[in-house]
Amino acid sequence: MVNKHDVKKRMRQLAADYIHEPQQEAYKLDDTEMMLHIGPQNPIQPGPFLIDLKISGETVRDSKLYMGYGHKGIEKILESLTYIQGLPITDRMCYLSSLSNNEAYVSSVERLLDIEPPERSQYIRVIMQELSRIQSHLLGTGEYATDLGFVTMFLFMIREREYVLGLIEDITGARITHCFPRFGGVREDLPEGWREKAIDVLAMINEKCETYKELFSSDRTYRMRTVGIGTLTKEDVIKVGLTGPALRAAGIDYDVRKVYPTLTYPDIDFKVQTGNNGDIFDRIMVRINEIQESCWIIEQALDQIKPGPLFPDELPYGRRTPSMRVPPGEAYVPVEDPRGEIAIYIVSDGTDKPYRVKVRGPSFALMQGLPPMLENVYIADVPAIAASMDSCNSEVDR
Amino acid sequence: MDGETVLDSLKSQFQDAVMDAMVDSQPPHIVCANVDKEKIVDVCAYLKDNLQFNRLSGITSVDFLDKNKFEVVYMIASYDHSVIVKLKADVVRDENPSIDTVIPVWWNANWYEREVYELMGIYFNGHPEMTVLVLTDDMMGEWPFRKDYPGFPQTAAKYPYSDDQESVVESEYPLKWKSWPSERHYLE
Repeated sequence: MVNKHDVKKRMRQLAADYIHEPQQEAYKLDDTEMMLHIGPQNPIQPGPFLIDLKISGETVRDSKLYMGYGHKGIEKILESLTYIQGLPITDRMCYLSSLSNNEAYVSSVERLLDIEPPERSQYIRVIMQELSRIQSHLLGTGEYATDLGFVTMFLFMIREREYVLGLIEDITGARITHCFPRFGGVREDLPEGWREKAIDVLAMINEKCETYKELFSSDRTYRMRTVGIGTLTKEDVIKVGLTGPALRAAGIDYDVRKVYPTLTYPDIDFKVQTGNNGDIFDRIMVRINEIQESCWIIEQALDQIKPGPLFPDELPYGRRTPSMRVPPGEAYVPVEDPRGEIAIYIVSDGTDKPYRVKVRGPSFALMQGLPPMLENVYIADVPAIAASMDSCNSEVDR
Repeated sequence: MDGETVLDSLKSQFQDAVMDAMVDSQPPHIVCANVDKEKIVDVCAYLKDNLQFNRLSGITSVDFLDKNKFEVVYMIASYDHSVIVKLKADVVRDENPSIDTVIPVWWNANWYEREVYELMGIYFNGHPEMTVLVLTDDMMGEWPFRKDYPGFPQTAAKYPYSDDQESVVESEYPLKWKSWPSERHYLE
C-alpha cells in the first residue's frame, strides 16, 4: 500500500524541481500566508492561464501569472506561408477581433507593396472594423456581467450581438473568422439592401445601449462590486503601458484611430470616450459608450460611401494569384483593436514569404499589468478585476 | 513634436552611438535608427526623460543567419505625441548573445524581454526573472524562432509518426516532464 506521506513528499520534491530559482522567492511564505492557485481553467475568461495568489486571510498580497497553455507559434507559422496564405492564420489570434487582426496584417503588407485601397474599399473596411468592435464589446461586457452573477445582462447583450454578427455574416459569409480584407481592397462589396438593414440594427443597438447604461448604473449590487474596485490611476496605466478602453477609462484620451489615422478615419467625426476614475465601472461604461460611438461612425460611413472600384487599377500582383513577391523592407502600422493597439511588424526579404513577423497585441500588455492590479484586493474581487480588462488569452499565447 | 525634431535631437546627443538614422516617408512616419548595443539603455532613458517617449510598444528580435547577427528591435511610442521610434541594436550571433535590459526605463519591458529570450535566445543582462513565459519548461534552450531551428520541438520530433521508415527514430514517448504544473499545490 502506498504511503500517503511519501506521495506528498515526492510531490513537494517535484514542485521544488519545477520552480525556478527566482520564482522560489515568490513562494516564500510566512506563518499567516498561503498560496491559492486559480487556473488554468479559470472563472475569469475563456482561455487557459494560471494565477498563483499569495494570500493572507482574505487579502491578496502577491500574484504570479503563468501563460502559454495554448501557445500556437503563429509568428513562426506565418514565416513558412506566403503572404496571402498567412491572412487566415491571423484570424485565429483572437477570435473576437479577427477583423482587426486582418486589418493590421493587411495594412502592413500594403505599406510594403506601396499600394493604397480605393475609397470605397476603405469605407467598407472602416465599417467592418466598427462592427467588429461592437460585437466584441457586447460579448466582453456581457460575459463580464455573468462573472458578477448578472446573467440577465449577458442574455440581453448576446441577443443583440446576434444581429451584429448577422450583418457581418451578410458581407463576409462567416461569423467569427472572416479573412475579409485583401491587399489593396476587400473581398466582397456590400450586398444589396444591406444599408437599410444595417441602419435599422444600429438604431436598435444604440437604443439598447441607453437601457444597458441605466441597468448597470441603477443596480445596487453591481455598483457595490464595481465602483472604486480595481482602480488604475493615470500614473499606473502609463507605467504599465496599456492601450484601449482600460487606458481611456483612466481619463487619457488616447485612441490609435486618432493618433495614427489610417483608412478614411480622418474624414469621420467621432469622439474618444474616456472615463474619470479608472475603476471597473468606468471600464464597462467606456465600452458601452464606444459601442454607441461605433454606431455613429458606421452611419457616417454609410452616408459618405460612394460607388466605385474595390481594387486599384494597377496591382503589383494578380487579384487571385496565390503568391507574389514583396519588395524588401519593414512595415509597422498600428490599428485600434477592441482591446487596444495591435500592430504587426513584418520584415520582408524580397521573397514571397515574410522573413519575420511579430505581433504586438493589446492583450499581452493587459495581462502583464494584472499582478500590480491584484495587490491588496479581496480574493472575491480577483475575477471581477481580471475579467474587466477583457483580455483575450488566445492572443497572448499567439 | 514631429519626426525630424526627434531625429535631430537623437543625432546631436549621441553622435557615435546612433547610426543610419532616418524618418520613414510613409505614414506613420517611424523614426528608424541603429544603436550601439552598449548604449541602448542610455538612448532609451534619453528618449523617455527628454522627449516624452513614455510608452514601450514592444520588443522583438530578428535573426539574420547570413549576416551572423541578431537584431533586437524596440518600438517606442508616446501618450503625448504621435511619433514612433524604432531602435535596432545588433547582437553578434555567438554562443551567448546578450544585451542590457531596459526594465529600469520602462516597467513593461519585462514580458517582452522574457519572450525574446525564450524564443530567440538573447539574454537580457540584469533582468530579474529570465524564465519561460509562453513555452513549456523543457523547450527552454531550443530557441524555436531562430532561422536554423529544425521546425518542430526536439522532443516532439522523435515521435514515430513519419511514413518514411528509415527516418523513424527511437521513441522517447511518454515525454519526461519535470512535473506537471497542477502538482504545485503540494508545495505548502
